Amino acid sequence: MRYVISGYTVVLAILFLYGVQLVWRRRRLNRLVADVEGSRTPDRPQTGIG
Amino acid sequence: MTTKTIVQSPRVIWTTRIIGLLALVGTGLTVWLGLWVTPPDQTQGDLVRLVYIHPGVAWVALYLAFGLAAGCSLLYLWPRTRSLFWDRLAAASVEVGVVFNVCTLISGSIWGKPTWGVWWAWDARLTSTAVLLVLFLGYLALRRVPAEPEVRARRSAFAALFAVVDVPIVHFSVVWWKTLHQGATVLNANLSPTIHGSMAWTLLLGFVALTLAFVWMLLVRYRIGALEDYLGSGELDMALLERQSEGVVPPAPDLKAEALAPVDDAGAAPGPRAPAEVTR
Amino acid sequence: MWRDTLLMAGKDLRIEARSRVALSQVAPFGIVALVLFAFALGPDRAPMVKGAPGLFWVAMLFSSVLAIQRSVSVESTDGARDGLRLSGLDPAGQFLGKTLSVAAQLLVLELVLGVGVVLLYGASIQTFWLIAVSCLLGTIGLAAAGTLYGALSAGLRIKETLLPFLLLPVVAPVLLAGTRMWQAALSGGTPANGTPWFHLLIAFDAVYLALGVVVYGPIQETA
Repeated sequence: MRYVISGYTVVLAILFLYGVQLVWRRRRLNRLVADVEGSRTPDRPQTGIG
Repeated sequence: MTTKTIVQSPRVIWTTRIIGLLALVGTGLTVWLGLWVTPPDQTQGDLVRLVYIHPGVAWVALYLAFGLAAGCSLLYLWPRTRSLFWDRLAAASVEVGVVFNVCTLISGSIWGKPTWGVWWAWDARLTSTAVLLVLFLGYLALRRVPAEPEVRARRSAFAALFAVVDVPIVHFSVVWWKTLHQGATVLNANLSPTIHGSMAWTLLLGFVALTLAFVWMLLVRYRIGALEDYLGSGELDMALLERQSEGVVPPAPDLKAEALAPVDDAGAAPGPRAPAEVTR
Repeated sequence: MWRDTLLMAGKDLRIEARSRVALSQVAPFGIVALVLFAFALGPDRAPMVKGAPGLFWVAMLFSSVLAIQRSVSVESTDGARDGLRLSGLDPAGQFLGKTLSVAAQLLVLELVLGVGVVLLYGASIQTFWLIAVSCLLGTIGLAAAGTLYGALSAGLRIKETLLPFLLLPVVAPVLLAGTRMWQAALSGGTPANGTPWFHLLIAFDAVYLALGVVVYGPIQETA
């Protein structure tokens, strides 16, 4: 039975961690895109150092 | 606004979230049913519980993910349907497929240890799955080579094609390798017991839940690919250029280089931007 | 197409004849591999004889990677690849020609390694035609798949490490089939033992030759 438990644990852990990694990557990329674009919208002109 | 942005429609965002939620619930349910509610098998005992997830991850990795990647690659190569969308989808499918493939091998191995007494057996199915993993990894390695998106897409699509046609040949060769070997004891312990009742439903649920998990991961991974391409490509420059032409925006410092600069582990945004000149 | 095939093969083989890279580098590599295997399997003849078919084919596989890399690098200098594209040579012919030239070199190598296996490991060949057929078909398969993957990785700077990783898993069926046929040949097995493998090699060769003929041209456009 411990084989079954370890099997479930390993597989689910892998899938879960991969999923978390995906979400993290997406969040980081969204932030990058927002940073780059958001600071350049016409209604927020830059004055000197951002 | 006339600018082209990388915004996702709310419908897509919510569909992704719902699928993810369903996948989580389905998987949780499968675990509960598989580990507690269903009875042990006549012949395999508790080991049958692994059957609720192993065929599920295997079907996703071997058929769904790889098949999808192959189909998308063909669609990319076909001139009339050529679009980087297919390439990105193929790449996402392969990466997620690799993860499921690893899960297949591990769950198969863990099932095999108490059944056959060894962690690894050169069983036809395990061996084919291992070869498939290496083929997948080769595809991903090829994609890491820096290139224009179209060139990379084309190269990857060909690589996927070559790998796919190899799959049936590898399958047969490995099966014959085991069965035609004179005097070998063919490890015949079958992975699919005669299944009925609550066990059958749990098995089905496992398939559905894991498929949903794949779909969710595919969608998120695709999104990541689209964002990466956007940040690294001319589209971002175009968008910035359009905004600049709308009047108020000062010429951008090399944000693309900044955006692609290595980020520290905490995921912080890139370093301080260069001072921007104001043009009015 | 066939005329271009012969033109291409002739060019590659002539380059090889003049530079003798395959002879002076690839063949010795194969022999070194055989010697190393002998060291690994220990001084007793028995494991060596038992493993001879497999070791022969593993040595062939690794050597074929070298041969393919050589075949690809022949065109990487002086804009030769662009020259070929503009030359009007049928791409299918180019593919077949390169495959033919690599296959020819590999066949010579097989002869050398085969003799090596017989001499060094003490293997005794009972059914010669099985050996010949498996070598011929296996070589064609290795050459065809190798030329395809070589073309795919042609422009890349890391092709040295990438090509083996891409090619070797794909040609695993050739290894399996070739080994089985050799085993049958060395133990005097009946042709029945060899037949399914024979079909497998034919299928493998057909698939990759057909693929190459169709796809070699489009691949060149990406490099």
